Amino acid sequence: MIKVLLILSLLIIELYSVELVVIGDKNFPESNLTRLEIKAIFLAKKRFIKEQKLLVMNHKANHPMRQCFEKNILEKQEKSLERYWRKAYYQGKHPPKIISSTKMLFLYLDTIHPTIGYSDFNSSIDQEVTILYRVECGT
Amino acid sequence: MVKKIYYAMLITLLSLYANEESGYGWDVPNSSLNIGGYLDISYDEKRENEKREEAFLFNDIAMLFSANSNRIDLLGEIELSHISLDGKSNNSSDVDLNIERLQLGYTLSDTQSIQIGRFNSDIGYWNQAPIAILQDTTTQPYMMKELFPKATTGVLYRQNLNEENYFSVTFQDNQDIAHQDDVEEIDNHLGLAYYKTKDELSWRFSLGEYSTPSDIKSNYMGIGSEYDGELLYLQGELFGKNLDKKKDKVYSGYVQSTWHIKDTQDIVVRFESYSNNIEEIKEQIYLLGYLYRPTPNIALKGEYIQHSKLPLNRFVYSLSVLF
Repeated sequence: MIKVLLILSLLIIELYSVELVVIGDKNFPESNLTRLEIKAIFLAKKRFIKEQKLLVMNHKANHPMRQCFEKNILEKQEKSLERYWRKAYYQGKHPPKIISSTKMLFLYLDTIHPTIGYSDFNSSIDQEVTILYRVECGT
Repeated sequence: MVKKIYYAMLITLLSLYANEESGYGWDVPNSSLNIGGYLDISYDEKRENEKREEAFLFNDIAMLFSANSNRIDLLGEIELSHISLDGKSNNSSDVDLNIERLQLGYTLSDTQSIQIGRFNSDIGYWNQAPIAILQDTTTQPYMMKELFPKATTGVLYRQNLNEENYFSVTFQDNQDIAHQDDVEEIDNHLGLAYYKTKDELSWRFSLGEYSTPSDIKSNYMGIGSEYDGELLYLQGELFGKNLDKKKDKVYSGYVQSTWHIKDTQDIVVRFESYSNNIEEIKEQIYLLGYLYRPTPNIALKGEYIQHSKLPLNRFVYSLSVLF
């Protein structure tokens, strides 16, 4: 019984220690970005990098990676984000495009340059992408 | 009839947007054009000299549109305001169609941009989001009345110093392209603004000078700060203005706190104070309000406002929708 509980605990820890990677396409103009730069990009405050306009992709609201992203990169609560996007819309800014799956994100990354998004590290291993930033979801 | 139209519009809007995530407006297919809008209906109970006057108004109905093409951005806001729903003031002169904003932006580089047209002056926090759906109260602080020019028809240059700082310079030397019923018309404005953010805290500083077509010159200066926390949202601003070669002075400040008591419900408290030696008034205003947002784009508010001197104590209720 104790062994089962230990294995379950390890599995839970493993699940919660998923690593999120912010990724750009393979020819992304930068090789890494700071958390504040990524935050500014996903809040539509920074739209250009090296004079090139970025395509920014986000996951659906209930996606576990998005929850990790908002907590660790944007560092904003749901209510704050709602407030932010209401005001941003009034100022002519729009939130990032929503993708329905990680597969779709990689499709965009393959075809449009420069594109930025995020996924779990394991999904990005076999893809031709630029890893711009890493963060543990459990932190 | 007007009430029936209003209810029909309301039901349609609620059903259309109840589950919207965060994108507002309608994206016109095969273009970058987005069209949306907002409406604000209020019931304002005023008591003046023991007489009671009640007003049930469409405060604002406005269309917002935006489009962009690589480095160029277009943003417009056309507003229809002050339509009475109780039939007491249905005179055509009460209805006001106005270009609130019509601005064209151009991104010069990764960190610099410029915009021309009519835009909300880059002064303070409240003035960046001066409509009811974006605020936690129906009524605005006194500061928004006459401390600085709310809108500028001119040019704004913005320089981002990094991801957390920027400054902007505003310049106007021409007539306003619109008229606003509650805003001082100006034909000259030179302003400087600085903004900084750090985690949940941010600060703003603004100063400038402007003049009206009748050549009344004024200068203003103000600071503000905002805290956007998990349980609490705090905002405070303090502005001063000198008119007519510094003989006349107006000061105004407020602190507003919003407590998130539940996911969709907030309690709002505001304290403000102003001093106006033109009208020889020094006053404090207290506000206690309740805000319910069933979805991010709908707000139902009720508030009581207590004035220390003027007979303007009253309840105000409103419904606002962003669509």
